[in-house]
Amino acid sequence: MSALLAVRGVSKRFGGLQALNNVTFGVGHREIVGIIGPNGAGKTTLFNVITGVYAPDEGHVELRGLKVTGWAPHRICRLGAARTFQIGKPFAALSVLQTVRIGALNRIESMAGATARALEVLELVGLADKREHLGKNLTVIERKRLELARALATGPALLLLDEVAAGLRPNEIQDMIALVRRIAAGGVSVLIIEHVLEAVMRLSARIVVLNYGEVIAEGSPQSLVNDPRVIEAYLGEAYTLA
Amino acid sequence: MHGRLALGLVAVGAAAAVPLVAGQHILTALIVALHASYIALAWNVAAGYAGQFSLGHSLFYGIGAYASTMLYLKLGLTPWAGMFAGAAIAGAVGVLLALGVYRYNVRGIFFALVTLGAAEVAKGLADNWDWVKGPVGILLTMKAAPAEFFFLRREPYYYVALAMVVAMIVISLVLERSRLGQHFLAVREDEAAAEASGVDTYRAKTIAIGLSAALTAFAGSFYAQFYLYVSPETVFTFEPQLTMMLGTMVGGAGTALGPVLGSVLFSGLGEALRNLPFENTRQVVIGSKLVYAILLIVILIYLPGGLITLGRRKP
Repeated sequence: MSALLAVRGVSKRFGGLQALNNVTFGVGHREIVGIIGPNGAGKTTLFNVITGVYAPDEGHVELRGLKVTGWAPHRICRLGAARTFQIGKPFAALSVLQTVRIGALNRIESMAGATARALEVLELVGLADKREHLGKNLTVIERKRLELARALATGPALLLLDEVAAGLRPNEIQDMIALVRRIAAGGVSVLIIEHVLEAVMRLSARIVVLNYGEVIAEGSPQSLVNDPRVIEAYLGEAYTLA
Repeated sequence: MHGRLALGLVAVGAAAAVPLVAGQHILTALIVALHASYIALAWNVAAGYAGQFSLGHSLFYGIGAYASTMLYLKLGLTPWAGMFAGAAIAGAVGVLLALGVYRYNVRGIFFALVTLGAAEVAKGLADNWDWVKGPVGILLTMKAAPAEFFFLRREPYYYVALAMVVAMIVISLVLERSRLGQHFLAVREDEAAAEASGVDTYRAKTIAIGLSAALTAFAGSFYAQFYLYVSPETVFTFEPQLTMMLGTMVGGAGTALGPVLGSVLFSGLGEALRNLPFENTRQVVIGSKLVYAILLIVILIYLPGGLITLGRRKP
């Protein structure tokens, strides 16, 4: 299986803080991979390096077989990796439809085509009835769905989700899990950062555990819940899969 | 949509009929209002749609005024063509400025200050450049030469100004409905999210400044032909910039009609204030600036989206 995303020996330092240290892992085609780890483990920094917000100090990132290290974020988006932001960045003064249409314009030249695509995506994420609402008037949950819709509309091969389930109520988490599964079933690989363990454990075929910027374990959800290093660093106590 | 188009055509028709009934004095006031509307709309392309709050648009305005004037005086090129040359030069200067400034990630208030400085530099250069007559400025002779953009009566100037505003509104509407325009909006709202949506923000910002600069320069050329006088003190100062900002912010930034609404209001106000019983010109200037400032503050507090939002239903 040729890897869709390959992160090879990536390190990133901010002043005295080693945010990422020699991180290596990959995501295959049609795979859902989870990233877990305590706060400050470097998860979001890793997303920022993969999507071109930061250039790594060492190592490199390959997407669809191309070295994308040093590329601007929009070029990486064009090549096929789209991300959501942990703290939703809605276009405050734009409507939901406008926002998602801007994402759709990534692959579609015409406004009419992009509008049609945006409406499809809004239907999928359940925001179709809010399409005329302004970004600033959305609830936290709606913002998360909007983030997802905007990213999905860009037509990615790899979708990077940064805590899309955080802060959701249990039934909303179930909806979100179902939604991510539907997206993955459409042929999109997903890399997901998540503190809501239920979501990440149930969704991911494979999970990468980060701690202090290093990969301390990698494997199936079943294997990780029994791994003492993971329990010590993150899970805190023996975690059982529901 | 058809209703709005019809309404627009009626408005343009009515505006075109004004010279049949208005005297020269009213026409002059209307030309000033149209000119203000045009430069507000041109600035709005960068500031309103793309969120690039330039304070240096007098630079592009001045380039337009000087370019068409110098090309006419030195090479005999008709200002009808010279204004396009001025727009090309201003557009190129805008693109170069943007490429440099955005390369170093200058944004927000710092971007505003750098552009303000650029206009000041241009004024300093023009003041010290003998070829363009330095601070004395250039006087053009009043004459009847339609082929060279000189008219003795107000009517032709009025129609040119009206055509420029109509064209600028159409450009704004087309921009709003284009991919480029959507990219401008994304850049204005959030650059990180825009990049994450596949928008080349560096390119979009550079195009926004270049386009806005070129469009602004046309107004500079018009100014030169209408007032027949170009000097650093009239075109490279903050005055044109202030006119653009007041009209746009008060009327509604990022809309195709807001800047017209705001500019017409301010021009009308300026005209009304001139008739107040002040002792001298200085008092008129100070008095009207005070009224402008108060009006601006009140509108920005109570109607942050501008006057245009009054006519909009809340969703």
